[in-house]
Amino acid sequence: MRLLIVEDEDLLRAQLVKALSDAGYVVDSAGDGETGLFQAQECDYDAAIIDLGLPKINGIDLIKTIRTEGKKFPILILTARDNWTDKVEGLDSGADDYVVKPFQIEEIKARLNALLRRAAGFAKPTLDFASLSLDTTSKRLSVAGNEVELTAYEYKVLEYLMLHPGKVVSKTELTEHLYDQDYDRDSNVLEVFIRRLRQKLDPDESLKPIDTIRGQGYRFNVPASS
Amino acid sequence: MSPQVPESRYSLQTRLVLAFGILLILFLGLAGFVLDRAFKESVAAAVEERLQLQVYALLGVAEPDEEGFFLPDLQEARFAQINSGLYGFIVDAAGTEVWRSPSALDVNLEQANFMSQHVAPGQTMFGAMDSPVQGRLSYASYGTFWSALDQEYSFIVMESVEPTAAEIREFQSNLYLWFGGLALFLSIAQLTLLRWGMKPLQQLAMEVSSIEAGEKDQVEHEYPPELQAVSKNLNLLIKSERERQSRYRTTLGDLAHSLKTPLAVISGIVQQVRQKSGSVEQGDNVALQELDEQLERMNQIVSYQLKRATRSEQSRHLGTTVQAVPVVEKIISALGKVYLDKPVSLIKNLDAEAVFQGEESDLMELCGNLLDNAFKYCRSEIRVRVSKKGQGLQIDIEDDGQGIAEQDRQWVLKRGARGDTLKSGQGIGLAVAVDIVSAYKGEISVGTSELGGASIHVKL
Repeated sequence: MRLLIVEDEDLLRAQLVKALSDAGYVVDSAGDGETGLFQAQECDYDAAIIDLGLPKINGIDLIKTIRTEGKKFPILILTARDNWTDKVEGLDSGADDYVVKPFQIEEIKARLNALLRRAAGFAKPTLDFASLSLDTTSKRLSVAGNEVELTAYEYKVLEYLMLHPGKVVSKTELTEHLYDQDYDRDSNVLEVFIRRLRQKLDPDESLKPIDTIRGQGYRFNVPASS
Repeated sequence: MSPQVPESRYSLQTRLVLAFGILLILFLGLAGFVLDRAFKESVAAAVEERLQLQVYALLGVAEPDEEGFFLPDLQEARFAQINSGLYGFIVDAAGTEVWRSPSALDVNLEQANFMSQHVAPGQTMFGAMDSPVQGRLSYASYGTFWSALDQEYSFIVMESVEPTAAEIREFQSNLYLWFGGLALFLSIAQLTLLRWGMKPLQQLAMEVSSIEAGEKDQVEHEYPPELQAVSKNLNLLIKSERERQSRYRTTLGDLAHSLKTPLAVISGIVQQVRQKSGSVEQGDNVALQELDEQLERMNQIVSYQLKRATRSEQSRHLGTTVQAVPVVEKIISALGKVYLDKPVSLIKNLDAEAVFQGEESDLMELCGNLLDNAFKYCRSEIRVRVSKKGQGLQIDIEDDGQGIAEQDRQWVLKRGARGDTLKSGQGIGLAVAVDIVSAYKGEISVGTSELGGASIHVKL
């Protein structure tokens, strides 16, 4: 999952980048509204965290512009001004949730998780597909009720595919959303992850959860259980 | 404290009407008195002159004979006609009547004591007497020395006062009529002029009260030069007051921002340290826990006191009203986004007429805190009612959550329960709501909803 963080306070931004990178997100950051807008236009993000009090372009205007340009990724507002006028204005301008400073990193992670899940159309923190169940809170996978160990990257790939069920996800899209820009984008590595995931999800090859669409990418192909 | 200003009992208009009314009565009364007197004096003078002329006429025709006097050729016909109202007499120095005109045959002179009074030759004595038959008579008695008879005589002419009295009465009734008309005209003119002159003041007063009621932003009417200074300064005052308030709020917002960001950084550092808990000793972990708690407390105090500071100063709102329903709708739609994961059925009963007399941000803060609590603590149902109560506004919010325990209600509603005395995890929402309500001198009460949870009622 690729995140954009726009926060002008260097220390706080560094903390957020570190904590969220540690949590498995791919994180880009900007220190002012202008840079933030540029990045939002350049890259395809899964979610953004935007501080309201930003230099150059303030948070509200930044969010409005992002929305006007048709970007639909969820946005979490950070605000120090703990009043409802600002909160309502922020949510009205197109943000999806807010966190008041100071905050616990855990809270940010939980809110982000919920936003990402909601954006993909899931109401519960657990993504259920037939016998597969991925708990996005504890980051655990169970297959037919049995817990299955996943590496961090396997989890990331599976979560991304599950959050876009039925959609063809190209290898480029996957690398963009799962790796830092300076990461060596070797598509062979991805193929390895997919192969391992197939083995773990479907040991007896009855479900065939991940299709390979030739020349296009992968598709998670299990109907969601409501 | 400013000294208590005694309240003026009389309006400007009443003062002017009273003053002018008293002046009018004094002026017309005095003028009437003077005119009446002058007229009476001039009439009296005319009577005396006439009597004197009649005396001279008698003198001119009087001829002495053995029995006294003989007046053969009386020019004035009224001397000849009985009871004509004009009577002539001649008396000698002893007061004995020596001649009377034919008109005076009937006149009884018993009351005429003045006849015996000596009048020096060449002098005239004027006066008035009552006669039983002829009524009141004015007289002139002229003393003369008749050398042929070698004796002093008094020539007396009497005239009935009735005609002159009638003349005076008529003058007086005319005078009353004119003065009455004049008083009426002046009173109407005065009221009209006063109303015209006072109109700008009344207009200004009306504008000020509609500003107070929040129907207007500023004084708009054009006023005469004397009031322009007032209206301009009033507008300036309103404007600068609003600017001051918004500047104050921005400053405090900035202060909040600059205090909270470092708090967020510290809190982040604490978490980073804790994550390396493998290398942290047990004691250090306790210290980190305490650090966290203190940070949380600092944060609560900063939030709460800043909220209070921005509010209590604004309790005196200067002429703003807000439609309540759009504000509530905005908050509900914002909260709907935040609590998207929670299936809440919301029953709204919103009266579009409901108006809040005060700052929009205060209403937003009040409703934001109360509705946020309702969303947070409800199980699945919330009821919101916004209604108009006379000039005021009533907001009722109910939920089906746990509710607020009976013993906590009084404590929770106590104004100024300080941020640092709040129980941890309680949040400052309700405390802030209580502060706003009391700043606007409203009422807030907590009860049990029929849905099972808390019901909060606010009257503003």
